[in-house]
Amino acid sequence: MNAAFPALQMPSPGAQLRRSFSSDLLKLRGTAALWLTLLSGAFPVALSLLIYYFKGQYLLKPGQNPWQAYVLQSWQTASGLLLPLFVVLLTSLLLNIENKASAWKHLYAQPVGRGALFASKLGLLLGLNALAQVVYAGLLAASGLLLGLLRPELHFLDHALPLGPLLVLLGHTFVATLGLLAIQFIASLWWRSFVAPVALGLGATIAALTLMRWEYISWVPYAAPLLSLRAIAHTQSALAVNGALAASEWRSLGWFAVVLTLGYGLLRRRHEA
Amino acid sequence: MSQPSPLITTHDLSFCFGQRQVLHNVNLAVPPASIYGFLGPNGAGKSTTMRLLLGLLPAPTGAVRLFGHDLAQHRLALLGRVGALIEMPSLYDHLSGHDNLEVTRRLRGLPAARTPEVLAIVQLSTDAHRPVREYSLGMRQRLGLALALLPEPKLLLLDEPTNGLDPSGIMEMRELLRHLRQDLGKTILISSHLISEVERLATHVGVIRQGELVFQGPLAELQRLEHRPAQVVIETDDAATCRNLLPLDLGAATVLAPGTLALPYQSPEQMAYLAQQLVSAGQPLYSLRREQASLEQTFLDITETTQRA
Repeated sequence: MNAAFPALQMPSPGAQLRRSFSSDLLKLRGTAALWLTLLSGAFPVALSLLIYYFKGQYLLKPGQNPWQAYVLQSWQTASGLLLPLFVVLLTSLLLNIENKASAWKHLYAQPVGRGALFASKLGLLLGLNALAQVVYAGLLAASGLLLGLLRPELHFLDHALPLGPLLVLLGHTFVATLGLLAIQFIASLWWRSFVAPVALGLGATIAALTLMRWEYISWVPYAAPLLSLRAIAHTQSALAVNGALAASEWRSLGWFAVVLTLGYGLLRRRHEA
Repeated sequence: MSQPSPLITTHDLSFCFGQRQVLHNVNLAVPPASIYGFLGPNGAGKSTTMRLLLGLLPAPTGAVRLFGHDLAQHRLALLGRVGALIEMPSLYDHLSGHDNLEVTRRLRGLPAARTPEVLAIVQLSTDAHRPVREYSLGMRQRLGLALALLPEPKLLLLDEPTNGLDPSGIMEMRELLRHLRQDLGKTILISSHLISEVERLATHVGVIRQGELVFQGPLAELQRLEHRPAQVVIETDDAATCRNLLPLDLGAATVLAPGTLALPYQSPEQMAYLAQQLVSAGQPLYSLRREQASLEQTFLDITETTQRA
């Protein structure tokens, strides 16, 4: 019977992933998810810039290296509150591209496995998350240099730009977002809605910030970005960041691995009714 | 016998949603180069069958074969040869029609030339660079068909592709599908709850009722099933009065509506006689015609009378 039909050919897993990713990139064109990624870092940087431009002389002691105080002050707002909310919103916006188009039935009827579709979306989300954080850190560094030009008496240009410590801090913050990113990712895929996972993320972030002094807070992935600030050494001198991962960051990685594994197992069995 | 192998076969295909069994031992056979109209009332199991044929719902090993291969074992490879449109097409409103096609073209790893080719087939080339959110329902449906045509599939699975289209949209879609079969040799499985939509298009028909396939075969065979006699239909003012005035001639007639009577057709002379009698009885005669039961009626009979049994 099979002789009547040509032999079967299946795309390799690598080809499936490459194709999914290329298709996902195209879908990003002109979406809110892309604009959020590119622009959201500018907001906390602009606030810090204005604060230091107008009130910098009260915030720095004479002769102090301004970078440490400046980075800590900005990073606190940005990573403590804004970063978890950013990840919540980004995840929902990215997956809402498919949910809004009711595209899942179409995607699952293409010769690309569910694993490739899952991995491609996850990869894109991680990439956008990383890009947004890099843009933020880059803008923060640039704003410090700008302050050095506009307000020379704050001495930003008299001290070296702490590029190394900034990168280490960036690494901490990125790892700290992974746990909550995985939870939001699976929630958005499972509920196929925009509002429900955003509500979950908002609630969890607010709860985490409220419970910051709880002895088990390092297990809560939504608190991890704020906790990763503890990697900054409290000195009056140059910015110094501890390289080792904190307990909250290890646990964020643990959440990431466990939630994605269980979530993928559940989603794979989902029927497209 | 050189009967060509069917492109789609299902073997005792059954499916349950929880406790509720929605398909009972369905044995489809869709011959190559056919337009197979898959008919049934809403909720009869058409969509479930279509989803099983695409592996969107899991079918047991051996239950579904496409191109002679088992779907459960070779799903991805087989999907590479199938184009599908499931109800409303999945379109990204923020992208243009062209980019919507590009998304699926990249996903399937097809050559770049396919996008303009399918745009031309569905006659959307001039609107290709407008965002899809500006498209009419008919244009969206044609773009959905273009998505299904991208991989140059031998087999097209279309689930209610004319849902929500206006009459001219339905006609355009019908012309397009006829062209695809006649000129490009596609096999098309098209589901619908309206026989009128497929009767001028389909070569073969399968009728599903409450999860069971109650008829399958060439369209002509369905037409032959119709053996009920023709009727004379009379349109007048007051059907009941006519019946009372002419008990001998109209006593056996059924009242279809307050002004409509029907009785078994016998001969042209009977028609002339009835006209004369009604006029002499002083009753207005708006219309007098002979009606052969339509395919639609046959379809309703298959899907409804067996339901009562």
